[in-house]
Amino acid sequence: MINIVLVSHGDLGDALIQATEMITGPIEHLFSVPLLPDESPEGFEKKLATTLREIEGQEMLVLIDLLGGTPYNVAARYVLKGNVECVTGVNLPMLLELVTSRDNVSLPELAGVIAQVGREAIENLGAMLNEQ
Amino acid sequence: MMAASYFRQAVRRPHRTEGKGVNDIEELGLVRVDDRLIHGQVIAVWCKHHRFTRIVIVDDGVAADPFMQEVLKLAAPPDLQVDVFSIEESIKALSQDTPDRGTMMVLLKSPLAAKRLYDGGLKYSALNVGGIGSGPGRKNVFKNISASGEEIAILRYLMDKGVKITLLTVPGERSKAFSDLVGKGH
Repeated sequence: MINIVLVSHGDLGDALIQATEMITGPIEHLFSVPLLPDESPEGFEKKLATTLREIEGQEMLVLIDLLGGTPYNVAARYVLKGNVECVTGVNLPMLLELVTSRDNVSLPELAGVIAQVGREAIENLGAMLNEQ
Repeated sequence: MMAASYFRQAVRRPHRTEGKGVNDIEELGLVRVDDRLIHGQVIAVWCKHHRFTRIVIVDDGVAADPFMQEVLKLAAPPDLQVDVFSIEESIKALSQDTPDRGTMMVLLKSPLAAKRLYDGGLKYSALNVGGIGSGPGRKNVFKNISASGEEIAILRYLMDKGVKITLLTVPGERSKAFSDLVGKGH
């Protein structure tokens, strides 16, 4: 099974997991690595490496909360590995899609689908309703 | 690019020109010590409050790491130029003849880098200490800023040279003058 790794500012990753599990039930092969407010990039890098050592060599999709944030700066390097994909801007619809479809597609395909689902989940309701 | 268009919506306030500083050279817009370099606070907050046109990362490690350079540049808004120099390169590249010094944000990872820059001849009259994470030998001094005894001594050295050092994570937040932290007379 493709592993999911969430890297985020503070509690966002854990909260997203909680929210997703409210809908889907418990999720397996899922890891969350939070950046704490006073943590140095080096400290976070070590923590991430320790977590990922557990699943070394396995396929993983790394979900990053913010393009340009410290979790991104640190985690981006993993995309150089053969069996790792990274997607930024994680949101709840992306996690939901991941949990329900990760068994059926290849890792690169999954990364593409997840990025698209995340984008398509965002609507400006007022403007959209006015168009109709 | 999604995030780029998000960042582009930023409301930019005109940058208040502080005038020319040391020896009538146009002051660098901001010189900041932040071990995270470009990250959420820098892009999402600083660049919305100031009309920076260029972010210059001065770090020997990143200067020798093309992949990291790409990662950092990918995250910057499209209208912001990002350059990376080693400390030695930056002393020439950011010298007094450089255009647009006033709209430049210079990012350094450590007080030691700030000192090497200053001693190398790239003078600045103000230094923003924005973030130094906790680590062995460091203790917290203000908000998310930690420092070792050696780093405090380096900042004191710069303060004694006349550099105004302010501890501030992002504009609008509470700040602290370094001189108030360590005391002026010693």
